[in-house]
Amino acid sequence: MSITLRVILIVCSIISCILCIKKIKQAKLKVENAIVWMLGSFLLIFMSIFLGVVEWCATGLGFEAPVNFVFVIIIAFLLIEVYLNNLKITELNEKIKDLAHHIAINEYKINNEKEKKDE
Amino acid sequence: MKTLIIVPAYNEELNIEKTISDIKNNTNYDYIIINDCSKDNTKEVCLKNRYHVLSLPVNYGLTSGIQLGMKYAYQNGYDIAIQFDGDGQHQAKYLKDLVKEIKEENVNIAIGSRFIEEKKPFSMRMLGSRFISLAIRLTTFKKITDPTSGMRAYDRKAIEAFVADASLTPEPDTLVYMLKKNMKIKEVQVEMKEREFGESYLSPLKSVKYMANMFFSIFLIRNLTIRKKEGR
Repeated sequence: MSITLRVILIVCSIISCILCIKKIKQAKLKVENAIVWMLGSFLLIFMSIFLGVVEWCATGLGFEAPVNFVFVIIIAFLLIEVYLNNLKITELNEKIKDLAHHIAINEYKINNEKEKKDE
Repeated sequence: MKTLIIVPAYNEELNIEKTISDIKNNTNYDYIIINDCSKDNTKEVCLKNRYHVLSLPVNYGLTSGIQLGMKYAYQNGYDIAIQFDGDGQHQAKYLKDLVKEIKEENVNIAIGSRFIEEKKPFSMRMLGSRFISLAIRLTTFKKITDPTSGMRAYDRKAIEAFVADASLTPEPDTLVYMLKKNMKIKEVQVEMKEREFGESYLSPLKSVKYMANMFFSIFLIRNLTIRKKEGR
């Protein structure tokens, strides 16, 4: 892995860490969600610094170049994140639907009571 | 038996009055209109006529509408819930035939079918219907002649299934699920009209998506529903 790539990875990881912390302070990101990104960043920094570990894993698993191993890790990480996000969206969707149903039924009940009073 | 007619309506200001008077004239069942946040005056028309209407604050589609109707039926102790389109295609005079099947023949779901006695015409739409029929037959060995029919009556057991499982939709794949759960489904011959006003929601692209969804759901999801043993 070239020095340039290692430096880029380290810099990007540090920037993403700083962004996460900033957003948590602004209450725009929850700590639970930020932890995943922080861990991802730390993993990248770890892989950039301890090249030996990466090379050992890459040869052991039969990768042609250590950098490919790093890419595979990043892609796997992103895929898992997208999957978890998808689950979350579905859950939120169901919750909003339940709320909408609740609102509709309540509105109906209120209207009925109003009509009874009017009569 | 308490019977509720669920009338999902989205942008049906021109059809809804006719539909409800048809229901009132031909049946003595309760009804509830589910206004799925229509952009036109459906809500105003309903309120003006003092119809029973549940108005959703956001548009969530037919599935959500039927689920809301099922929740309402469940909460108010109805024994039978009938799904009945608000666009004037369905005729209320056939509803008592559906209810009769549930009351006397002990079926769980009665479907108003256009094609028990009559032959299916050859159109793109009916080709889709044939494919879905075939898929249902391959997975459950049951013959459903009109799986996409929107006129269906559900008994208490089916209503409870709808309330308990948010993934159930008023679509053919749910029939597979119900059959796998050992529920009985029977079809009754009915006639349907062409819609007079408004547009159907099926465009070519949506049709393809719909078919893909149905096949995926029937073969890979509903087909793997665990079959309950008899008598449990």
